[in-house]
Amino acid sequence: MVNGFVANSLQEALEIRTNHNVVPYGGGTDLMVENRPDVSYLFLAKIPELKEIKADDQYIRIGGEVTFTQALESSLVPPLMKEAVSRIAAPAIRNAGTFAGNIGNGSAKADSVLIDFVADAKLCLSSVRGTRVVDIDKFYLGRKKLDLQSDELITEILLPKTGLENYYYKKIGGRNALAISRVSFAGVLQMEGGRISSFAAGFGAVADTVLRFKELEAMLLGKTLAEAKEKKSDVLNAYSEKMVLTRGRVSAEYRKTVCLNLLNDFMTEKGI
Amino acid sequence: MNNITFTLNGKTASYDGSATDRLLDALRDIYGMTSVKCGCKEGECGACAVLLDGTLINSCCVAMGAVEGSTVVTLEGYRETERFAVLDKAFASVSAVQCGFCIPGMVLAAESVLAKNPKPTEAEVRDGISGNLCRCTGYNAIVNAILIASKEGNGLW
Repeated sequence: MVNGFVANSLQEALEIRTNHNVVPYGGGTDLMVENRPDVSYLFLAKIPELKEIKADDQYIRIGGEVTFTQALESSLVPPLMKEAVSRIAAPAIRNAGTFAGNIGNGSAKADSVLIDFVADAKLCLSSVRGTRVVDIDKFYLGRKKLDLQSDELITEILLPKTGLENYYYKKIGGRNALAISRVSFAGVLQMEGGRISSFAAGFGAVADTVLRFKELEAMLLGKTLAEAKEKKSDVLNAYSEKMVLTRGRVSAEYRKTVCLNLLNDFMTEKGI
Repeated sequence: MNNITFTLNGKTASYDGSATDRLLDALRDIYGMTSVKCGCKEGECGACAVLLDGTLINSCCVAMGAVEGSTVVTLEGYRETERFAVLDKAFASVSAVQCGFCIPGMVLAAESVLAKNPKPTEAEVRDGISGNLCRCTGYNAIVNAILIASKEGNGLW
């Protein structure tokens, strides 16, 4: 094969990745838009080990080459992830696009990545040297900059098994189907004994990476919903101060306004 | 440096070009499958949709290396099936075709919807063709045609 390698097992793929200068190719839906004829692709879509969705006692483990359609048809994938994935493009793209590809492309607009951020997902990065597990927010170093070595592949995405049930998700795009997120937002709230035990708010498509401000989320921890409600305007003001957004396809002002509106709406819907 | 081997409309095909070439271009330029239309080259219009191993994909977003060992069906192959005959009749019965440019992709998207769900709701049909743009009909006729095919093709899907 000219300019390409097909791997049939993970071991084979890792050896090729080590010994050749290749671009990992999942579904191709982003790579083929760029269409770089001079690169060599490493085709990963037919590796059985990377196409499984499994559960262990802690995590839902999504193989890197699992397609969005496969995830939508799985009973293991959490509803929040399914909702975000169901809004990606259209069936033909969801049939091809993969979780590792969505992450590896490095875009802050990647719809599954926003969910990885609010879920505190971990990534398994494998090479012939072994596998390391990194937190999703540590993996994204900057715009299109990833903590991925030239011999590594994204082999699994680990989502926590519980804790994502009480969620809020909105994707703002220019149209219903085939829409690139202009602003996307996901929020997750967890209560324990009547008090907020976890509050996560993620903003997609508005900066170099997906944004989360854990120090601001902490303002609400340990509070009852009524106490949180009293704090609400302080929280919104704090986010407003903290969020320095850049211009993209839409203005920075638009992005910020929509982000704060969605955050407000999330809190209102959850009783804050 | 072996050739890329795949099955195209039931026949073995061999490709000696680059693995980075688009399936869309190979289908049209090398194999003469001109039902596969080039609309956008970025996966946004569905005019180049084909069935790859039975699932709908946009052939503009597939590199030739990815079809090694796979089965590709274009409308040229699909039109030999009984299912196509039902869709053909249904599309004609409600004039669901105007310029025709989107129709090969639209018919394969219809096949993909019905193969998964022989009795889809209107909403499911609309979702199933949501990646296929048509600038003539306004979609209603196409949606009706697929619902008619679902009814008339009893047992075929």
